[in-house]
Amino acid sequence: MAVAIKTQNLAPVKLIRNVPKEEYYVPGHRTCAGCGPALQYKLVAKAAGPNTIFLGPTGCMYVANASYLCTPYTVPWMHTQITNGGAVASGIEAAYKVLLRKGKREGEFPNIIVMAGDGGSVDIGLQAMSAMMYRGHDALFICYDNEAYTNTGIQTSPTTPYGSNTTFTPPGPAIPEGKTTFPKDPPQLVIGGHPAVKYVATASVAYPVDLINKVRKALNVVGPTFLHIHSPCPKGWKFDASKTIEVARLAIETGMWNMYEWESGEYRYQFRPKKYKPVREYLKLQGRFTHLSDAHIAKLQAFVDAKVKGPGIPVQAPVPTPPAVH
Amino acid sequence: MPKEMMLSGCAASAQAAKMAQVEVICSYPIRPYTAIMMELAKMVANGELDAEFVHGEGEHAQLSVVLGAAAAGARALTGSSGVGVTYAFETYSPIAGGRIPLQMMIADRALDPPGDFGSEHTDAMSCRDQGWLMGWAENPQEAFDNCLINYRVGEDHRVLLPQFVCQDGYFVSHMPGKVVLPEQSQVDEFLPPYNLPHPLDPKRPVSHGPQIRPDQGTIMDLQRAQAMLDAPAVIREVIDDYNRIFGRNYSPFVEEYMTDDAEMAFFIMGAHTMTARHAVRHLRSQGVKIGLVKLRFVRPWPTQDVAEALSKFKAVGVVETSTSYGGAARGGNLLHEVRSSLYELPQRPLTTSFMAGLGGEMVPLKDFYYMADILSKAIKAGKTNKTVYWVGFEAED
Amino acid sequence: MFIIPKDKEVPLGCVTPAPVGEQPMMITGNWREYRPVLEPEKCDLCMNCVVFCPDACFQLNEAEDMVVLNEKYCKGCNICITECATNALTEAYELDFDDGVVRLEKPF
Repeated sequence: MAVAIKTQNLAPVKLIRNVPKEEYYVPGHRTCAGCGPALQYKLVAKAAGPNTIFLGPTGCMYVANASYLCTPYTVPWMHTQITNGGAVASGIEAAYKVLLRKGKREGEFPNIIVMAGDGGSVDIGLQAMSAMMYRGHDALFICYDNEAYTNTGIQTSPTTPYGSNTTFTPPGPAIPEGKTTFPKDPPQLVIGGHPAVKYVATASVAYPVDLINKVRKALNVVGPTFLHIHSPCPKGWKFDASKTIEVARLAIETGMWNMYEWESGEYRYQFRPKKYKPVREYLKLQGRFTHLSDAHIAKLQAFVDAKVKGPGIPVQAPVPTPPAVH
Repeated sequence: MPKEMMLSGCAASAQAAKMAQVEVICSYPIRPYTAIMMELAKMVANGELDAEFVHGEGEHAQLSVVLGAAAAGARALTGSSGVGVTYAFETYSPIAGGRIPLQMMIADRALDPPGDFGSEHTDAMSCRDQGWLMGWAENPQEAFDNCLINYRVGEDHRVLLPQFVCQDGYFVSHMPGKVVLPEQSQVDEFLPPYNLPHPLDPKRPVSHGPQIRPDQGTIMDLQRAQAMLDAPAVIREVIDDYNRIFGRNYSPFVEEYMTDDAEMAFFIMGAHTMTARHAVRHLRSQGVKIGLVKLRFVRPWPTQDVAEALSKFKAVGVVETSTSYGGAARGGNLLHEVRSSLYELPQRPLTTSFMAGLGGEMVPLKDFYYMADILSKAIKAGKTNKTVYWVGFEAED
Repeated sequence: MFIIPKDKEVPLGCVTPAPVGEQPMMITGNWREYRPVLEPEKCDLCMNCVVFCPDACFQLNEAEDMVVLNEKYCKGCNICITECATNALTEAYELDFDDGVVRLEKPF
């Protein structure tokens, strides 16, 4: 008799040598060389295994993976609009509940994973993501964060860092820093008000074993879970493709990216530096920040200093730079 | 034993969904269709219907949720009214193009501005070109029947299209009418279990919706075009079967009423057809040779059936309860398609249109008599004076 | 019925088969300028190259007990070279190889 609730228990991995060998995100996709999001997708797919259904809201992890008439997913996958990844996943989850209950499907309740970019998670996709978290569907929502709408040619999104050069926030005499606003904090949006959510975590391509284990932990939870995965983008952030992992590591070492888990009200931190490197070390590797003045970098540093004191403490963005006077 | 009840259109629609054993329902409140969802919620809560009742966060989400559910292999149902229908617009093409046969029940409502709760066909009509089946019910019985008919047609592997099953807000959705509820065994005989060719199932992995090459756009579109060419034959089959199993007498696409020696006719769909029938009977008793033709499916538009039905009249008055601002007739939507259907005929009736029932207004008998008078004058003059009359707002003709 | 050229057909509803092992409709080996070259005697099987390749192009060959590059798909991003723990990987100009792959035709 099929059970309409997940009973699986995916085991954690100890070392890189122990990372499972099977690939469920196979070679043959049109992502950029060195693509951070592609790497995290590969790792997530490995962690989840074959009893998985992926949803692909429009974005790089749709368009670059699905051109043309082919995809690299060996498991079932469906395209969704950028607006509704969370909603479509909710429908699939509801269907499996009733189909298993009625005996129309057999076997273990599948992993249902939304693979949404930052825009599809907390901008245009925010409503659907939040509703999925609120309704308590047994599904995992992953925000792969490459800090811009990259598929459409690098435009600012709510997770783009302050001071980024994007095609909607180009620096110029009237707006010297480029992007003037500070980013949303996706995990905090989820933790802040969804009673059905028991597990939220951040992860990074810099630490693949940690990423795999967090995915498995999230999938083992019966209920909605949220992962925020830092996925550096060589094309959007303007760094050499060979440096994707280096950039990801430096983000953590400077505090620009914070690694933690939140589980039923408790925070646990990973890879927390005893002493943070200055953000300048991180910024200087990336072309999207080369226009910043010392004053801008100082503002960003102040924001990061406040943020690393601990997630859960709301961080006030600094007062905006007054517009340049001509 | 089939049971006869007095049910509103909303209640009848819920009964049909229950008998169709829908498996995933996604709700969101908006007047006047909400009553359908409230009925279904009660049925789920008291164990009458084994389905997942998902509270969508908006109409766009409703469509997205049922898309996921139907793609995964469950019979799915949603619904809306007015601006809810148009808010979900982004989803209609992906659902139809993805060939996911889910059903949306629309109890229609005028679009904003402002927040008018009254019935109007404009909401659903605005979405009619996306590749969905679409048609209106005249009364609660037809609302019940259309739900089952549309599931059967839409899920047929020769069609595989989603369905807009529409009823006039308030006039059908909230006014009770006689509904004969069949036995479950009859429904089971008519409607086989939901069976999507390539559901999302880890045992049979597929990729649903990768990009097509730039030179394949037309080819993708042709899939829906072909489905719309194949659908009418399936509809005829299904209506025959429905009539046989449930003892109804529907014609698949157009129903003719008192048209035998009629010189003129109303062409109409939805709730106001009921009033029009009364008007036709009264006018006939006064010696006016008038009939009416009722349209059951807007999509696929039954071009041949419409042409055949209307060709015998000297004048046809198309009753429009939707708007097409700036359209060729500067009135509603139906006249364009009626004239298009008649274009090839060697003998074409005079056609004009009447804007009536907009914003939830009733269409009283005297309005139909006014329309008949105009048609009759047109026949005498051998021409129509105007292509559209905004009934009640025109200067003397 | 419409006449659709065989090479332009789109499956119904654009539902395509899932790949098995690799996706040969999107060969990317002809993207690279530089090919990573392995010196096996320096490799200690740390698996960094296998894990960090976004395209899953390094795999452990159990029989050979050595990691092997999938040249059909390697895009030449060189993450593997950066992350190799023992400097066993270096980059070499692709067209210096006899079987150096260069994109002669348009991909679609």
